[in-house]
Amino acid sequence: MEKILCPVCQVAFTLKEEREEGKHVTCPVCGAVLSLHKEGDSWVLHRPLHLTPEEEIRQRIENFARFRGYHFNEMKEPLVAGLLKKYERYGDFYCPCKIDNIPENVCPCLETRSGSVEKDGRCHCGLFWK
Amino acid sequence: MKTVMLYALSTCPFCKMAKKFFETRNIPFNHVDVDLLEPEEKEKTVQKVQEISGRRAFPVIVIGETVIVGYDELRIKEALKE
Repeated sequence: MEKILCPVCQVAFTLKEEREEGKHVTCPVCGAVLSLHKEGDSWVLHRPLHLTPEEEIRQRIENFARFRGYHFNEMKEPLVAGLLKKYERYGDFYCPCKIDNIPENVCPCLETRSGSVEKDGRCHCGLFWK
Repeated sequence: MKTVMLYALSTCPFCKMAKKFFETRNIPFNHVDVDLLEPEEKEKTVQKVQEISGRRAFPVIVIGETVIVGYDELRIKEALKE
Protein backbone atom coordinates (compact mmCIF):
# COMPACT_ATOMS: atom_id res chain seq x y z
CA MET A 1 0.00 0.00 0.00
CA GLU A 2 1.32 3.44 -0.95
CA LYS A 3 2.60 5.52 1.96
CA ILE A 4 1.33 9.00 2.61
CA LEU A 5 3.37 11.93 3.94
CA CYS A 6 2.45 13.74 7.14
CA PRO A 7 2.91 17.48 6.45
CA VAL A 8 3.67 18.08 10.14
CA CYS A 9 6.39 15.56 11.04
CA GLN A 10 7.39 14.80 7.42
CA VAL A 11 7.20 11.06 8.06
CA ALA A 12 5.43 8.84 5.50
CA PHE A 13 3.06 6.26 6.94
CA THR A 14 0.73 3.59 5.62
CA LEU A 15 -2.88 4.65 5.69
CA LYS A 16 -4.89 1.49 6.14
CA GLU A 17 -8.30 3.20 6.26
CA GLU A 18 -10.43 3.71 3.21
CA ARG A 19 -9.49 6.94 1.40
CA GLU A 20 -12.24 9.55 1.07
CA GLU A 21 -12.05 13.22 0.10
CA GLY A 22 -11.95 15.47 3.17
CA LYS A 23 -11.65 12.58 5.63
CA HIS A 24 -9.94 13.40 8.94
CA VAL A 25 -6.87 11.30 9.60
CA THR A 26 -4.50 11.20 12.59
CA CYS A 27 -0.78 10.82 11.93
CA PRO A 28 0.36 7.74 13.89
CA VAL A 29 3.82 9.27 14.37
CA CYS A 30 3.19 12.80 15.67
CA GLY A 31 -0.54 12.72 16.44
CA ALA A 32 -1.41 15.55 14.03
CA VAL A 33 -5.02 15.69 12.92
CA LEU A 34 -5.02 16.06 9.14
CA SER A 35 -7.46 16.04 6.27
CA LEU A 36 -7.16 13.81 3.23
CA HIS A 37 -7.46 15.17 -0.30
CA LYS A 38 -7.10 13.85 -3.81
CA GLU A 39 -4.67 15.84 -5.94
CA GLY A 40 -4.37 14.49 -9.48
CA ASP A 41 -3.76 10.76 -9.12
CA SER A 42 -2.41 10.95 -5.59
CA TRP A 43 -3.84 11.31 -2.14
CA VAL A 44 -2.27 13.99 0.05
CA LEU A 45 -2.69 15.12 3.63
CA HIS A 46 -3.17 18.75 4.61
CA ARG A 47 -3.17 20.58 7.92
CA PRO A 48 -6.75 20.76 9.21
CA LEU A 49 -8.73 23.82 8.18
CA HIS A 50 -11.65 22.76 10.34
CA LEU A 51 -9.72 23.37 13.56
CA THR A 52 -8.59 26.59 15.20
CA PRO A 53 -4.82 26.73 15.91
CA GLU A 54 -5.52 26.03 19.57
CA GLU A 55 -7.73 23.02 18.79
CA GLU A 56 -5.13 21.76 16.34
CA ILE A 57 -2.19 21.81 18.76
CA ARG A 58 -4.23 20.52 21.69
CA GLN A 59 -5.53 17.54 19.69
CA ARG A 60 -2.04 16.84 18.34
CA ILE A 61 -0.29 16.79 21.71
CA GLU A 62 -3.10 14.77 23.34
CA ASN A 63 -2.87 12.18 20.55
CA PHE A 64 0.93 12.02 20.71
CA ALA A 65 0.92 11.62 24.51
CA ARG A 66 -1.70 8.86 24.24
CA PHE A 67 0.26 6.97 21.53
CA ARG A 68 3.47 7.07 23.59
CA GLY A 69 1.96 6.70 27.07
CA TYR A 70 3.30 10.10 28.18
CA HIS A 71 1.52 12.42 30.55
CA PHE A 72 1.19 16.13 31.21
CA ASN A 73 1.52 18.17 34.38
CA GLU A 74 0.87 21.74 35.54
CA MET A 75 3.28 23.05 32.90
CA LYS A 76 0.91 22.01 30.12
CA GLU A 77 -1.16 25.21 29.98
CA PRO A 78 1.78 27.66 30.03
CA LEU A 79 3.45 25.55 27.32
CA VAL A 80 0.32 25.51 25.15
CA ALA A 81 0.29 29.31 25.53
CA GLY A 82 3.96 29.36 24.44
CA LEU A 83 3.20 27.16 21.43
CA LEU A 84 0.35 29.46 20.42
CA LYS A 85 2.65 32.46 20.77
CA LYS A 86 5.16 30.76 18.46
CA TYR A 87 2.35 30.04 15.98
CA GLU A 88 1.23 33.66 16.09
CA ARG A 89 4.77 35.04 15.62
CA TYR A 90 6.43 32.47 13.36
CA GLY A 91 3.57 30.59 11.69
CA ASP A 92 3.91 27.17 13.30
CA PHE A 93 3.96 25.37 16.64
CA TYR A 94 7.71 25.47 17.26
CA CYS A 95 9.15 24.40 20.63
CA PRO A 96 8.60 27.36 23.00
CA CYS A 97 11.99 26.79 24.66
CA LYS A 98 14.12 26.53 21.51
CA ILE A 99 15.39 29.45 19.48
CA ASP A 100 15.28 27.78 16.07
CA ASN A 101 11.93 27.93 14.33
CA ILE A 102 12.66 25.08 11.94
CA PRO A 103 10.65 22.00 10.84
CA GLU A 104 12.40 19.58 13.24
CA ASN A 105 11.32 21.80 16.15
CA VAL A 106 7.61 21.62 15.35
CA CYS A 107 5.86 20.10 18.36
CA PRO A 108 6.20 17.18 19.00
CA CYS A 109 9.77 17.91 17.92
CA LEU A 110 12.17 15.45 16.30
CA GLU A 111 14.20 15.14 19.51
CA THR A 112 11.02 14.14 21.38
CA ARG A 113 9.86 11.78 18.64
CA SER A 114 13.34 10.21 18.71
CA GLY A 115 13.02 9.17 22.35
CA SER A 116 14.30 12.02 24.55
CA VAL A 117 11.39 11.50 26.95
CA GLU A 118 12.46 7.87 27.54
CA LYS A 119 16.03 9.03 28.12
CA ASP A 120 15.46 12.20 30.19
CA GLY A 121 12.02 11.56 31.66
CA ARG A 122 10.59 14.60 29.85
CA CYS A 123 10.93 16.53 26.63
CA HIS A 124 13.19 19.59 26.73
CA CYS A 125 10.28 22.04 27.09
CA GLY A 126 8.64 19.92 29.83
CA LEU A 127 5.39 19.29 27.97
CA PHE A 128 5.60 15.49 27.67
CA TRP A 129 6.58 13.46 30.75
CA LYS A 130 7.30 9.78 31.07
CA MET B 1 27.75 37.93 45.66
CA LYS B 2 28.01 35.91 42.45
CA THR B 3 26.81 37.39 39.21
CA VAL B 4 23.71 35.76 37.76
CA MET B 5 22.88 35.84 34.08
CA LEU B 6 19.67 34.32 32.71
CA TYR B 7 19.36 33.68 28.99
CA ALA B 8 15.66 33.24 28.24
CA LEU B 9 13.01 33.11 25.54
CA SER B 10 9.82 35.12 25.93
CA THR B 11 7.74 32.03 24.96
CA CYS B 12 9.35 29.65 27.47
CA PRO B 13 7.50 28.99 30.77
CA PHE B 14 10.56 27.58 32.57
CA CYS B 15 12.42 30.78 31.69
CA LYS B 16 9.64 32.75 33.39
CA MET B 17 9.90 30.48 36.44
CA ALA B 18 13.66 31.10 36.59
CA LYS B 19 13.04 34.87 36.44
CA LYS B 20 10.49 34.58 39.24
CA PHE B 21 12.89 32.48 41.33
CA PHE B 22 15.45 35.31 41.43
CA GLU B 23 12.86 38.08 41.76
CA THR B 24 11.01 36.53 44.73
CA ARG B 25 14.29 36.00 46.57
CA ASN B 26 15.60 39.47 45.76
CA ILE B 27 18.66 37.99 44.08
CA PRO B 28 20.10 40.51 41.63
CA PHE B 29 20.29 39.05 38.13
CA ASN B 30 20.69 40.12 34.55
CA HIS B 31 18.48 38.63 31.94
CA VAL B 32 17.80 38.76 28.26
CA ASP B 33 14.89 37.44 26.20
CA VAL B 34 17.01 36.30 23.30
CA ASP B 35 14.12 35.93 20.85
CA LEU B 36 13.23 39.61 21.27
CA LEU B 37 16.69 40.91 20.35
CA GLU B 38 17.47 42.51 17.00
CA PRO B 39 18.68 39.88 14.46
CA GLU B 40 22.41 40.62 14.68
CA GLU B 41 22.43 40.80 18.47
CA LYS B 42 20.23 37.71 18.63
CA GLU B 43 22.62 35.60 16.55
CA LYS B 44 25.62 36.76 18.62
CA THR B 45 23.83 35.90 21.86
CA VAL B 46 22.63 32.50 20.59
CA GLN B 47 26.23 31.69 19.55
CA LYS B 48 27.38 32.57 23.04
CA VAL B 49 24.64 30.43 24.63
CA GLN B 50 25.59 27.55 22.36
CA GLU B 51 29.26 27.89 23.30
CA ILE B 52 28.59 27.80 27.04
CA SER B 53 25.74 25.26 27.08
CA GLY B 54 26.22 23.20 23.94
CA ARG B 55 22.57 23.80 23.01
CA ARG B 56 20.26 26.28 21.36
CA ALA B 57 17.58 25.70 23.98
CA PHE B 58 16.55 27.72 27.03
CA PRO B 59 16.73 28.71 29.84
CA VAL B 60 20.47 28.86 30.34
CA ILE B 61 21.53 30.26 33.69
CA VAL B 62 25.08 31.29 34.50
CA ILE B 63 25.87 31.70 38.20
CA GLY B 64 29.50 32.68 38.72
CA GLU B 65 31.33 29.98 36.76
CA THR B 66 28.47 27.48 36.81
CA VAL B 67 26.31 26.97 33.75
CA ILE B 68 22.87 25.47 34.31
CA VAL B 69 20.90 24.32 31.29
CA GLY B 70 17.17 24.20 31.98
CA TYR B 71 15.34 25.29 35.12
CA ASP B 72 16.69 23.26 38.03
CA GLU B 73 16.01 24.91 41.40
CA LEU B 74 18.28 22.58 43.30
CA ARG B 75 21.25 23.29 41.05
CA ILE B 76 20.53 27.03 41.15
CA LYS B 77 20.48 26.99 44.96
CA GLU B 78 23.70 24.97 45.08
CA ALA B 79 25.43 27.27 42.61
CA LEU B 80 24.40 30.32 44.64
CA LYS B 81 25.80 28.74 47.83
CA GLU B 82 29.12 27.47 46.45
